[in-house]
Amino acid sequence: MYGQVSENMTRHSFSTKIAKEAFSNLFKKRATEKYPAVPANVAEGFRGKQVLNLSNCISCGLCARECPSNAIEMVVVDGKKRPLIHLDRCVFCYQCADTCPRKVFETSKVFELAVTDKSTLVIKPESVSPAQVAPPAPAASSTQ
Amino acid sequence: MTQTENIQELDIPKLVGASFKADNLPIQTGAMSAVQAPPTKVHDILKVILDADKKSALTTISCLDLGENLGVYYHMRLTKGYFTIKTEVPKTDPKTQTITDLLPGASFAELEGTDLLGVTYEGNLLSGHFMLSENWPIGVYPLRKDVNMAEVKLVPSPPQEETDDPNVYKLTIGPQHPALIEPEKLSVTVEGEIVTNVEPRLGYVHRGIEKATESRTYLRDIYLVERVCGICNPSHARVFVAAVEKILGVDVPPRAKYIRTVALELNRLHSHLLTLGHACLEMGFDTLFQYLWRDREPIMDLIELTTGNRVYGSLMAIGGVRRDLNPDHIPKIKATLETLRSKLPGYRDTYQNDKSLRLRMQGVGVLSRDDARILCCVGPVARGSGLEIDVRKDEPYEAYGEIPFKEIVYKEGDAWARMNVRMDEVGESISMIEYALDHLPTGPIKVTVPRIVPAGESTAAIEAPRGELFYYVKSNGTQNPDRVKVRTPTYANLPSFLKTAIGQNYADCPVNFVSLDPCFSCTDR
Repeated sequence: MYGQVSENMTRHSFSTKIAKEAFSNLFKKRATEKYPAVPANVAEGFRGKQVLNLSNCISCGLCARECPSNAIEMVVVDGKKRPLIHLDRCVFCYQCADTCPRKVFETSKVFELAVTDKSTLVIKPESVSPAQVAPPAPAASSTQ
Repeated sequence: MTQTENIQELDIPKLVGASFKADNLPIQTGAMSAVQAPPTKVHDILKVILDADKKSALTTISCLDLGENLGVYYHMRLTKGYFTIKTEVPKTDPKTQTITDLLPGASFAELEGTDLLGVTYEGNLLSGHFMLSENWPIGVYPLRKDVNMAEVKLVPSPPQEETDDPNVYKLTIGPQHPALIEPEKLSVTVEGEIVTNVEPRLGYVHRGIEKATESRTYLRDIYLVERVCGICNPSHARVFVAAVEKILGVDVPPRAKYIRTVALELNRLHSHLLTLGHACLEMGFDTLFQYLWRDREPIMDLIELTTGNRVYGSLMAIGGVRRDLNPDHIPKIKATLETLRSKLPGYRDTYQNDKSLRLRMQGVGVLSRDDARILCCVGPVARGSGLEIDVRKDEPYEAYGEIPFKEIVYKEGDAWARMNVRMDEVGESISMIEYALDHLPTGPIKVTVPRIVPAGESTAAIEAPRGELFYYVKSNGTQNPDRVKVRTPTYANLPSFLKTAIGQNYADCPVNFVSLDPCFSCTDR
């Protein structure tokens, strides 16, 4: 057994195959990404932080009823029921978007949701104005 | 060849009916093929099936609360399809005979029924808990319908039994152990370096998902069962929706079938690369581990591209899929797969021929073909022992009936064979995805289904990366299912470790164990 192992080691440590592999790797592109220095690129159609088009909302509350993790709460804003998303519970399945008859929920590429205060992990309906509906800026800037 | 043809013609329901003509047992067909039998007959029926069909074995035992009685359903895997032996025991005295004399692999399935529903199997008795926590009161069975969970009072954990015998030396692997990423405990008795006994303790990550499904709608359950396991989540979602689709009698559109197949095979790719790398880590071959995980990353990106998320795709819906495959993405998918394919021969050569890897894996945890069958092993573990079972071949689902692929079988039965089954399946999966993308049908991706599922029951199975994943779903005609039973591949493969570890070096335990590709999050549910 030991003879076999030592023979194996001698054969392998000086094998030209390994040397070739090692040297060729010196000139290869790195496999890792320089995140967060370089913002991570997520795929098109990524299910990130929700963007709400509240002007379309008809207050039906189906999103809150169907949500698998009970992350959506219907709150009253200006006398109308609107969805409030608890992101700490959200599993980003976007069943709400499938259920919604008026396409209120839209995806975004925002995935960096780490916070130090958990109570801020909500998407409140009143805080969304048409101006904010536009695709959010790359979030990596804050992490540099 | 003639033998296999004969087996395929074998009609098990008819055979059971003929063999037990005098008893006049009612046979059930439709979404679930089954026979209703008294508890005393189960053993005999099982023996008839096992003798007639040489590839048959037990998949699992579903226990369920039927009101007055407790149902004990033995789900058998046949060469083609599934067959259930249904029996009922009174709730006041839920006793039946064990079948572990025929199939030792049924032991875990029986113990789970004892712990969660209180069905006792004479000959396989449980002391303490098997799945539940130590401080759960004995005699309270959480899966029974009359249990009020709010009233359950936890009891102090009993002290751990210590043996005084100086000749017995016990080592514990887990619940926290460098070789196991997830928590599970294996008490290993050793004599010197040699293992003489292994006792498992499951349930460290038991989350009661089976119970939780009963209080949620079918739609919400899809996302819940997806979270039984992180690695093979599309398999769980797909097998649950398939079981519900069978009850509903819904046919999935062809395009959805192909998209599901692509998602499932991408999942197999990433899972196999993960486990091949993890095994290298256990054996101290960090270079290959890093290489394999580097090449797994583009597959994760493809999953993100096709489903919208890196891990939880949430692609499956009852009646189809939720997201169409964008034709613009197909060239990118193919190019990524081609890159992976070009790297495979090198990895395969290393896995097959590298002397260090062979020394660590060959002859470790040898499982014979017969043992693999009676221990009810599934997936790459069974195929590594020469047992040709693959749900994709035996009972083709989705597009697998139309896609050509080779069933990978190794005869050696050791850790080396099990890992090489996975290595070769990576290549097969790549070809299957490419074929599916080339032959993607057009048309709708989803059919509308009613929210309320009619009363009925069905079983569904799928070849998840770790092996056959089996669900039994019973509907009572409401929005919520009545019972969802999950039998995960690791649960079926664990008994084989208890056998193969004995007589081996203690130091080989981690490699042997990792070669099963264990997933405890799955196992414990």
